[in-house]
Amino acid sequence: MDDLLAARALMGVSLAFHIVYATIGIGLPLLLMLAEGLSLKTGEEEWHEIARSWIRPAGVLFAIGAVSGTILSFELGLLWPKFMVFAGPMVGLAFSMEGFAFFTEAIFLALYSYGERRLSRRAQFLCTIPLVLASAISAVFVISANGWMNTPGGFRMVNGVASDIRPLIAFANQAWPHQAVHGTFAAYVATGFAVAGFYAADLLRGRKTSQVKRALTLSLAVGTLSLPLMLMSGDWAAEALAENQKAKLAAAEAHFKTVAAAPLIIGGWPDPETGTVRYAIKIPKLLSYLANGDANSVVQGLDAFPQGSTPDPRIVHPFFDLMVGSFFIMAAAAGWFWWLRWRQKEVTLKRGALVLVIIAAPFGMIALESGWMVTEFGRQPWIIQGYLRTSEAVTPNGGLLLIFATFLFVYLALSVGILKLLLRRQGRVEGGKEVLHG
Amino acid sequence: MADPVTLASIILVAGLLMYALFGGADFGGGIWTALAFGPRAREQREALFNAIGPVWETNHVWLIFVVVTLFTAFPAGFGNLFVVLMTPLVLALVGINFRGAAFAFRHFGRESKRETPLSARVFEIASVLTPFTLGLAVSAAAAGRIVIAGCIPTENVSAWLNPFTILGGVVGMAICAYLAPVYMTVRVTGKLQEDFRKESLAAGLALGILTSLMIPLAHYQAPLFAKRLFNSWPMLFVMLAVLAGIVTETLLWLRRYFWAQLLAGATIVFTMAGFAAALHPDILIGQLTLRAAAAPYPTLVAFLAVLPIGALILVPSLFYLYWTFRGEPSSDLPP
Repeated sequence: MDDLLAARALMGVSLAFHIVYATIGIGLPLLLMLAEGLSLKTGEEEWHEIARSWIRPAGVLFAIGAVSGTILSFELGLLWPKFMVFAGPMVGLAFSMEGFAFFTEAIFLALYSYGERRLSRRAQFLCTIPLVLASAISAVFVISANGWMNTPGGFRMVNGVASDIRPLIAFANQAWPHQAVHGTFAAYVATGFAVAGFYAADLLRGRKTSQVKRALTLSLAVGTLSLPLMLMSGDWAAEALAENQKAKLAAAEAHFKTVAAAPLIIGGWPDPETGTVRYAIKIPKLLSYLANGDANSVVQGLDAFPQGSTPDPRIVHPFFDLMVGSFFIMAAAAGWFWWLRWRQKEVTLKRGALVLVIIAAPFGMIALESGWMVTEFGRQPWIIQGYLRTSEAVTPNGGLLLIFATFLFVYLALSVGILKLLLRRQGRVEGGKEVLHG
Repeated sequence: MADPVTLASIILVAGLLMYALFGGADFGGGIWTALAFGPRAREQREALFNAIGPVWETNHVWLIFVVVTLFTAFPAGFGNLFVVLMTPLVLALVGINFRGAAFAFRHFGRESKRETPLSARVFEIASVLTPFTLGLAVSAAAAGRIVIAGCIPTENVSAWLNPFTILGGVVGMAICAYLAPVYMTVRVTGKLQEDFRKESLAAGLALGILTSLMIPLAHYQAPLFAKRLFNSWPMLFVMLAVLAGIVTETLLWLRRYFWAQLLAGATIVFTMAGFAAALHPDILIGQLTLRAAAAPYPTLVAFLAVLPIGALILVPSLFYLYWTFRGEPSSDLPP
């Protein structure tokens, strides 16, 4: 493994790790706010107890998210110093604003989780509102930096140097709106389904308390309501790709040759040697329709770009399919659950429906991770699309393999610790009603 | 004064100061958890641990603020510093990571009566390691041994590892160890308060000796830094730091804790301001000026324009946080 690959692997592992915690840090506050709001509105203590039972995992996961986010901010300099010298003046604003939002988030999470005896119930609920807003806004801000890497703007290249820099235009780049909206809804979907799976498992294990049923209903409702919003924003994202990031779209769709009336390719294995996709399902004209709203329009394939400047469809296409496929798994599980819920006028205890919810539970996170892979691998070999190659941005320092190994160990240790903690906790709850104080 | 580069460098130093004051106290809590001894060692640990709980994450965010300010306003400084200081920064990062995780695990593990000694040890070791490596990295920028040539690192390890930077790392630890017990004196009562008073007095003495040692050492090891420190206005900060330190020790002696706490904070502010003033106008002494490292004008203006908006949200929120958790640290933790 050379230093470039080690740097890319370390950045990739760090982000893949961080995204899980960042996602829960966006989704869980919404669930907390809704549960506390329902508690105040209905006067039922149970909703408050549900919210309080989420604090322990929220605290741990948020803490890990904060430290893994710090690792990322350091890695920007440790691994990609030349990228940051170039990009800092343009993406720095997004990170600065995200910093404030994250700061606000940390403050109100601390107030909410430690304030049980120091704050009134109403004040606790009010603390969850800035928490929800700040966590969503921090995601929206930080995604602007990634959007800029995909659709750089707000500067002019003069003799190889960025000049005439306009930070606000860089901030509001073309990819930002659809990436931000899609990413935020995906976080609500991922958290909603993950939490729902947890409670569905509780029901299956025979813990049929009304608290479990309520928690399942609330979390799955958040996940389900966000699903169509995620789908619509995904469609928007695809249209924007067709306009601004044609190579990425071509790689995602495994679309090798520029043709009119392009088919949509589902599954299969792209073979760059022959420019074909083996074992794939092809739906005639659908790609042209989805990309341009016209079934006979021309869609640029990978052959429309200079050789060596396009992403590898063998990595991008499978992740794209995994992302889209995850949606259908979650939609099926949610559909069946709500259908039974409506028919039986009660949270269903049918084994099949609960098992399906459990199966669907990780797919929100899988969709998010694979969607992120699509956007990152889909930009290669560029770190800043069209301006700076990833290979040119890497640090001149050697020994990155050792650093990669060090942090791999750090992440493994953290993952083992978290799993132990959360699973032990699970063992403790089974005894009966939620335990209030340790 | 209205020059955006100067304003941005003041923001950078202010961020570092906030991190030293709040994050520093936090690390100090970890250091004194490791050093706690005597008949009330357990109570001391408990009190420190409970005091850190609600605020550590917020304190930690100041570091992110510093890093973000650095790469937004001084991207060339950020790029070069992270290339030459890779090793100490990676070590600091490992420390930060394990500390946060160990704290969270210990905290929530203890909640369910499953506290593990492992996470307690990791928390203590990381609390010592991180301020040392960060202090080392910061003082390496002033040692004057780093030679940069456009993001190309020096092979020479002694550029960042030499007696001056090592002492700088120890001073980093001493700053943390000094702030934590002083803050604790106003939060607890009785014998525990006496314990923290003694710790504060000892740590203050240690900090005074260490920073005094730093000055003759700088003369030999970091001559440019020493020259700037002695020859002009940065000396004013040194004198103020010495004065504040002496007054703090006196106030602690007289058990005037409220004022001692404020003066202890002032000691650190003056010490670090003296350091920053002697570094000025460079970000990497003798190699890279703040002006040369700064982002283009429009970026600096946008950054400075966003700050007051952020502060408008942040300052009242922070005030509310520290006000809510004022007074005796309690263990009423998340259920």
